[in-house]
Amino acid sequence: MPTIQELKDRVNAAIDRQADQLIKTAKTILNNPEPGFREFKTAKLVGEVFDSFGIAHQDGIGITGLKGYLDGATQGPTVGVMGELDSLKVQGHPHVDSETDAAHACGHHCQIGMMLGVAAGLQADGVLENLSGRIALMAVPAEEYIEVAYRDDLRREGKLEFIGGKPEFIRLGALDDVDVAMMTHTSSNSQEGKIAFGGTNNGMVAKRIRFLGRASHAGGAPWLGVNALNAAMIAMSGIHAQRETYQDAHTVRIHPIITQGGVAVSSVPADVRMETYVRGANTEGFLDASTKVDRALRAGAMAVGGSVEITTLPGYLPIQSDESMLDLYKVNAASLVGEENLVRLQHRTGSTDMGDVSQLMPVIHPYVVAATGNGHGIDYVVQDYELGVITGAKAMAMTVIDLLSDGARQANRIKAEYNAPLTKDSYLSLMRGMLKEGTYTK
Amino acid sequence: MSTLEDLKAKAQAAIDDRAEWLIRNARTILDNPEPGFHEIKTSRFVSEKMSELGIDHESGIAITGLKGVVQGGKPGPTVAIIGELDSLRVLDHPHTDPDTGAAHACGHHCQTPMMLGAAVGLMLPEVLENLAGNIAFIAVPAEEFIDVEYRWGLHQNGTLGLMAGKQEFIRLGAFDDVDMAMIVHTASDSQESTKFSIGGTSNGHVVKFVKFIGKASHAGGSPHLGVNALQAAIVALNALNTQRETFQDQNNIRLHGILTQGGVSVNSIPADVRYEGRVRGRTAEAIADANGKMDNCLRAGALTMGAQVEIVTIPGYLPMKNHQGMMDIFKQNAIEIVGESEITTHPADRNRGGSTDMGDLSQLMPVIHPYTTAATGSGHSVDYVVQDYTQAVVNPAKAMAMTVIDLLYDDGQKAKELIDNHTPLFNKNSYLNFQNSRLTEERYIGE
Repeated sequence: MPTIQELKDRVNAAIDRQADQLIKTAKTILNNPEPGFREFKTAKLVGEVFDSFGIAHQDGIGITGLKGYLDGATQGPTVGVMGELDSLKVQGHPHVDSETDAAHACGHHCQIGMMLGVAAGLQADGVLENLSGRIALMAVPAEEYIEVAYRDDLRREGKLEFIGGKPEFIRLGALDDVDVAMMTHTSSNSQEGKIAFGGTNNGMVAKRIRFLGRASHAGGAPWLGVNALNAAMIAMSGIHAQRETYQDAHTVRIHPIITQGGVAVSSVPADVRMETYVRGANTEGFLDASTKVDRALRAGAMAVGGSVEITTLPGYLPIQSDESMLDLYKVNAASLVGEENLVRLQHRTGSTDMGDVSQLMPVIHPYVVAATGNGHGIDYVVQDYELGVITGAKAMAMTVIDLLSDGARQANRIKAEYNAPLTKDSYLSLMRGMLKEGTYTK
Repeated sequence: MSTLEDLKAKAQAAIDDRAEWLIRNARTILDNPEPGFHEIKTSRFVSEKMSELGIDHESGIAITGLKGVVQGGKPGPTVAIIGELDSLRVLDHPHTDPDTGAAHACGHHCQTPMMLGAAVGLMLPEVLENLAGNIAFIAVPAEEFIDVEYRWGLHQNGTLGLMAGKQEFIRLGAFDDVDMAMIVHTASDSQESTKFSIGGTSNGHVVKFVKFIGKASHAGGSPHLGVNALQAAIVALNALNTQRETFQDQNNIRLHGILTQGGVSVNSIPADVRYEGRVRGRTAEAIADANGKMDNCLRAGALTMGAQVEIVTIPGYLPMKNHQGMMDIFKQNAIEIVGESEITTHPADRNRGGSTDMGDLSQLMPVIHPYTTAATGSGHSVDYVVQDYTQAVVNPAKAMAMTVIDLLYDDGQKAKELIDNHTPLFNKNSYLNFQNSRLTEERYIGE
C-alpha cells in the first residue's frame, strides 16, 4: 500500500503532466468572460473537460452550475472542490469583452483550472483506490454579486431564489451530500506571500433601489417634476453622513452604484435606479447599517416628495475557515512554495458565498498570490499561471489525499469536530428572513 | 388761508433749518446699533427727540415702540409717518457694536430722523392749523426678522404675539386709528441709480426656527452610540438645495438660513443643532409650496440620522403693495426736491426680493414705501454705508411732510378720496387670523 506521500507525488506528477492543458483552459475562460448566471460558454467548456476526463456530470444547477464525482474505493465522506465560473464586469480591463464589459478581474478563470487540476491529479493511477469517500467537483455560477436588478428579475420569475451561486447550490440540495469543501482564489496582494489562508470575510446584504419621481420638461417646467436623481443624491449624502456611526470592528462597507440616472437630460429624471451592498464583519454590523441605509433612501424620497422602492436581498454570510483543515492544507502548501511564502490572513472586507458554505460545513478558502494589480480593478491580471493554476491545484489535491486516505480518518475527524453554526434549514430561514420589499411614499 | 405751496415751502425751510440736528441724530443712532426688540437706547433717544419737538407720545409699545399723534386744525383722517428703530447684526461692519455684532447695515438709523424731520415741518403752527386730520409719528421696533429663537422665546412667555414690530403694532391696536402710512427706506447705489425710487413690491415670507435633536456621545470613543444632529442638518440643507429647480422664476423664491448652534463640544456628537431660516416668495401660495418642501427636507435630514426635528413655522411678512395715489403725490413732491431725472418709478410687479413688515400694513391700508438712494455698498453687508445724509434724512423728511400736507390740506379731501376708494385685502381681524394660521409647531421623529 502506498504511503500518503507517494499518493501525493502521483497526484502532483499527474497535474504537472496536464499543466499546459489546464493553463490553456484557464486562459480560454479568461478570453471568454461571462458574468454570473450567464456563464453558458464557460459551463460548456467545463462540461467538455469533464467529459474528456470521463467524469459524469450534472449540468444546469443554478442555471449554469456543474457537478461531477470521483469515487474512492470505499465509502466515506464527500469532499467538495469548487471553482467559480463567473467573471466581473470592469470596463477598460485588458481582457474585457467589449460587448458585455465582462472581465475576469478577480481571477475566477484560474479557479476552474485549479478544480480541473484536482480532478486530473486524483485520477492518477492508484490514487482513488486508496481513498475512502468521494470528491464532488463543482463549477459554481455567480460568486460576484452583480447585475442585481437582472438577477432579482430572475428571482421574481422563479428562476432563482438567491442571487449568488453557492446559496442557490445549497437551496437546490447540490451541497446536501458534501461534508467538507474547499476552493482556492487568486490574490494580487504581495503582502500575502505566495499562498495565504485563514482569516474572515465580511458578510453582506444587497439592495435593489428605485426612486420614483415625476418627469417634466427640465427647462420649461421643472416645478412640475419630481427629481428622482436628486432623491438618490440626497440618499447617498445621507448614507455617507452616517459613516461615523459604524464601529471599526464591524468593517462596514456601503458602496452604491446608479444603474439608471435618468433617460433624457432635458427631462426631469423620474426613475432612478441604484444597487448597493451593505457589508459588515457580522450580521449585527451589516443589518444595523442596512437599517440606516434604508432611512437614508427613504429620506431622499421624502425630501423631494417622491417615493422609493427598496428590495433588500439576502447576500453572503461571513466566512470562517476550518482550522483543522487549514492545518492539513498549510503543510501541503509549504511543501510546494516553502513555509516562508505562507501568510496567515486576518479579516478581508470583501465577501464571498464560500462564507455561506462555511456556516454549514468545514471549509477552507485559501488564496494563491498569482496576480498583480488591484482586485476588481482594470489592472488585475494573473501573471503566474504555474502558481495560479498548477500549484493551487496541487495544494488542494494533496489536502484531499490527507482527508480521504487512511480510511478518511482526517475527514471524519474534522467533520465530527465541526460545530455547524447553521443547518441547511436554519440557513434558508435566515436568508429568507433578510428579504424585504417595500415602497415608501411620503 | 395759506396756499398749499406756501405750507410746503415753509415746511421745507423749517426742515432745512434743523438739518444738522437731524443728521446728528442719525449718526448717534448709527453709533448705537441695537437689534429688534432690544432698541432700548434708541427708543429712549428718539423719545427724547420727540419730546423736544413737543410730540406727546406713548412708549414701550411692543417693548420699544413709540407713537405720538398730533392733531391738525380740523378733524380728519390719520396719516402715519413711520421710522424703524432696529439695526441688523453684521460682523465687521465699520459701525458694528463689537459686544453685540449689531450694525446699521440697512440704514434704519436714518428713518427715525426722517420721521423727526417730517415732524419739524408739519408741526409749524401755520402748517398744522391748515390740516384736517392727524399725523401719527411712529417709531417701530424690529423690522429685521432676526434673532428668531429669542423672539420665539418672547412669544412663548407671552411678551410678544406676532414677532416683528409692525405686525405686533397691528395686533396691539397701535394702527387701529391710522388710515394711511408711509416710510422711506435708504437704498444704495448698487440697487438704484436715482435719488428717489418708488413703486415695486417685496417678497412675503415665513420664518423657521428648527431644532435637530440627536444623542450626544463621545465623538472619538463611541460615535456609534450617538445620533449626529449636525449631520441631520447638513443632509437637510443639501436636500433643500436640490429643491431650487422646482421653484418658478416669477415666484422669486428665496430659501436661506443660518445655523445658530452647530454643536457645543467638538469631541461630543452634536445632539442639539439649531437653524433659523426664511422662506420667501411673491405670493402666499408660492411661499406655502416652498415651505412644504423645506419641511420635507428638514424631516428627511432627521430621518436619515434617526434623529428628531422640531420645526416652528412663524408667520412672516406679506408682500408690499404700494398705493398708487399716494405714490403719485409723493412723486410730485420728490420731483420738487430733486428734479424729475432723479426719480425712478418701478412697475408694481418689480420685486426687490427682500421683505418688509410694511407689506403687512400695506394689506390693511394705503401705504407707500419709497427708497432714497444715499448709501453705497451692498444691503445687509459690511460695506453698506450711508454717504449722503442730506439725501438720506433731510430730503425724505421733506418729501413725507409735503405728502402729508397734500393729503390733509383742503379738509383732507385727497386723503379721504384715497381712503374711500381703497379696498384692503385684509381687515385687522382677518389679518390676525391669517397670520395666526401660519404659526405651526411640529415634532418629527425619524425612524
